[in-house]
Amino acid sequence: MNELSIVILLAIALTGVLLWLLVPRHKSSRMAAPSFPSNVNDALPSAKHYGYFPQIRQALSAADARYLRETAPPHVARQALQERRAVARHFLKGLHEDFSNLARLGRIIAAHSPEVSREQETERLILSLKFQLLYSLVWLRLSAGNLPLEQLEHLTGLVGRLATRMDAAMAEISALSAGQLPRGLQS
Amino acid sequence: MNHLESALYWSSLSFEIVLCGFVFTRKVQRILPLFAAYTCVPLTCAISLWLTYEYFGFTSPIAGYAYWGSVVLTSAARSLAIAELCRYGLRAYRGIWALVWRVLTALSIFLIVHVAVDAWGQPNGVAIYGVTLDRDLALVSIVILAVLLLFRNYYGVALEPLQRAIAAGICFICAVDVIGDTILRNVYTGYLFSWFLTSQKAFWPALRPQVERVNDIWSAVHLSCFMISMGIWCYALRKPVPAPSERPVLLPAEVYRELSPTINLRLSTFNNRLVDLLKP
Repeated sequence: MNELSIVILLAIALTGVLLWLLVPRHKSSRMAAPSFPSNVNDALPSAKHYGYFPQIRQALSAADARYLRETAPPHVARQALQERRAVARHFLKGLHEDFSNLARLGRIIAAHSPEVSREQETERLILSLKFQLLYSLVWLRLSAGNLPLEQLEHLTGLVGRLATRMDAAMAEISALSAGQLPRGLQS
Repeated sequence: MNHLESALYWSSLSFEIVLCGFVFTRKVQRILPLFAAYTCVPLTCAISLWLTYEYFGFTSPIAGYAYWGSVVLTSAARSLAIAELCRYGLRAYRGIWALVWRVLTALSIFLIVHVAVDAWGQPNGVAIYGVTLDRDLALVSIVILAVLLLFRNYYGVALEPLQRAIAAGICFICAVDVIGDTILRNVYTGYLFSWFLTSQKAFWPALRPQVERVNDIWSAVHLSCFMISMGIWCYALRKPVPAPSERPVLLPAEVYRELSPTINLRLSTFNNRLVDLLKP
């Protein structure tokens, strides 16, 4: 590939990325600032999906799978197992959303801070990129059927604990910023 | 100038006058003075070029120098308008602005040094030098805008509609310039290279029609696309410019100092758990 093709492709790719970034993500055209929502509790990126894990675990339990294999006709059992994997994937997607919300909280705090640390921001960026990669790998393994569903439980427990800690963190923000945020931003 | 060139020249001049009218009617100079200045530069250049062509002739060497001078001047004004876009709105977020401006400045310095080195190494000829400089500056503009928008998206600080339209217009004309200049430079340094060598003066009469044709095509494409960009800006300015957003309320510094390491530690733990999950 000569220089001509490289530069032209690079320009097209960069322009595509730039135009994609220019597409507004919010319905309101005046959403210029990532303001804290009117209620701090709303600002908390709640980890809601992990809360459904007991039901998911029951639906995806190994005993259920064994029972299906033993009693149901093969094609019904196969279909049911496929559907179980699909449910697990949806659940994993929900956990991804929980993680993203927690990471977003970090970015919102950084945006609203009068000073930020380069190391902290770089570290968070790297952690988020690493998470995306690992999440893709877990998703692929889950889709391929060689990831034990039980392992999701550990992951879920972690997200749950994270959410609890973030609850405490937001309470701390509220306490620290009391009197400094506009009235509408305080809970 | 032939009929096509005249038509394009006068229509782009009309567009530039309309754009300047919009810019100053909407008082854009109060919020984006460098962008307002950028919109005046092509108009000033067009009038100066017209006077040069009238006085020295369209095909004179001085007209050529004046043309390439106006191209570089427009690129410089565009770069300043982009710098203003970078600063606009983000400056109120003192913490991330301190981070962003350093990254953008370092990137700009690196890329501009690359531009200088790339242009310096070109074969003799103002046209080749000018095309390379214009192409590289346009590419730098796209990269800087892309990085700026990545930062803004990452921290959730969206551009306002007018600034978004300005960025889209700049991006479009820069992309066209990069592609067009790359093709033009390839033609100049390829089969038209004899045109730039005094040792091959004998070929010049035969090459003249081809050089003029290439220049005509590029001028037509560039002016047409620049009119599209101006159309984007005029469309964004059809309504009065809304007042700038209110300054954000910042949190006390200790909130970040206390919470950021904790959040990163938790995210790191989460990643470790994912790694464990993947172990056989």
